[in-house]
Amino acid sequence: MASRIRALYPGTKLIIALAIGISAFIVPTYWFGFAAFGLAVIVAFVCGEGKAYLKLVRNSLLILLIFMFVMRLLFSGGKTIYWQWGYMIISAESIAVSLAFVSGVLALGSFLLLFFMLTPVKDITAALSNAGLPPSGTYVVLSAIQMIPEMRKQSATIMDAQKTRGVETEGKLFTRIKAFVPTLGPLILSSIASTEERVITLESRGFTAPVPKTRLYVVTKRRVDTTIEIIVIVAFVAVIAGRIALSLL
Amino acid sequence: MSFTYATAKDSSVRDIDLTIEQGELCALVGANGSGKTTVCNIIRGFIPRFHTGEMSGQVLINGEDIKETNLGLLALQIGFVFQNPFVQISGSKDTVFEEVAFGLENLGVDVDIIRSRVEETLELIGIQHLRDSNPFDLSGGQKQRVAFASILAMDPPIFVIDEPTSQLDPQGTEDIFEIIKLLKNNGKTILLVEHKMELIAEYADHVVVLDDGALVMSGTTSEVFGSPELATHRVAYPQYAEAALGVRESGVPLARIAVTREEALADLTEAMHS
Repeated sequence: MASRIRALYPGTKLIIALAIGISAFIVPTYWFGFAAFGLAVIVAFVCGEGKAYLKLVRNSLLILLIFMFVMRLLFSGGKTIYWQWGYMIISAESIAVSLAFVSGVLALGSFLLLFFMLTPVKDITAALSNAGLPPSGTYVVLSAIQMIPEMRKQSATIMDAQKTRGVETEGKLFTRIKAFVPTLGPLILSSIASTEERVITLESRGFTAPVPKTRLYVVTKRRVDTTIEIIVIVAFVAVIAGRIALSLL
Repeated sequence: MSFTYATAKDSSVRDIDLTIEQGELCALVGANGSGKTTVCNIIRGFIPRFHTGEMSGQVLINGEDIKETNLGLLALQIGFVFQNPFVQISGSKDTVFEEVAFGLENLGVDVDIIRSRVEETLELIGIQHLRDSNPFDLSGGQKQRVAFASILAMDPPIFVIDEPTSQLDPQGTEDIFEIIKLLKNNGKTILLVEHKMELIAEYADHVVVLDDGALVMSGTTSEVFGSPELATHRVAYPQYAEAALGVRESGVPLARIAVTREEALADLTEAMHS
């Protein structure tokens, strides 16, 4: 099961994630969104990424959701007032509105996180090249992602170097801010300087050779992917149609 | 040829006339700032197309001017390896195998051929054990070997190698020279910039000395390293040649100046016996 989910075409995975996430905003009950989140967690556990996934959700989505929930809850107005203090009102309506909104964001956010967790960037760019993204575009995406941990390592080296010269990089907030210039400066400058050599590296590998490139790593769309995409899109259209029908009644 | 960088007042190299025969290992030596790297960049075509400036003269490969060839396609003819191992990885691949395949992908080689060619190259360079490692996680010496493998996979007949060992430890240096020896045995034409004279004396067929942008000496290793003139161009001697020259200067009539360890040993043994 896990390998089947992982083996889905990146585009198919994205369509599923978006369809479920956006549906949570359309379906008139907030239970849908929470159920969708539950489903995402189950899928993550099935794929063996459960713990990492929950941690990711906690670190990225949770604070956002709490903040959104409180703002909506207090400032949405409403008639059936339970509690009031100045402009801040908690009412039956504001509870419903905030729950609906938060469930939508939760569903969309959790499914997008799941998508990125179960799809290596390599697969995403391979699918993008299938869709016609030029090689330079693929290179920019992939190298940027590879470069981030490299730059983090390099900045640690620079920090150490500056510490030995007596620059304080730890302690109070203001001390840390002051340390920005001597640490970030060399990092940015050295990155700019190394681009020239990087260009030479790319040229040495024939990157600009005017011939159609081949790709060692490819992702292919199978029939099952197309079938799933069609089913998901039809279901999504049905959800929209249902919602419109419901509001017309 | 001559060349002046756009940002410089004086020429970096002046009137250099250099012929490198097919299959020969030509070593380019000279003090810092004598124009060695500039010559490499001119031969690979990065000058004047990438670094701009005023250039006169031409570079011919088998009689064809490289100006006529696309800079990327020139990779098919000239492999280029330079000093810094840390930027010689493409940065878009997460295994050594894919990294070595990158050049072939760019040249549009068939995937099956790429696979077999990369396998061969990894075997040849002796980095099969690194095939699944992330190129970023390797040591400097390993990165430099991956850089060689990546170029070798494209199988260019000519290699321009600019100070490949300047940032490596002795073991890394030895590994790289093993590779250079291998390239030479495979009939590649090599232009090598290097400061380790003992290694040049051992491997090079032809030594060219640059001083302040001009070509001042050219010849076989014994011609160049055996000549007292070399010292005036701020170039170090291999230690064996330096010793032999010292011995000759002190009045001992040496028949030849030994430039390699082997020659020095032979001469010394002979001297002991006689």
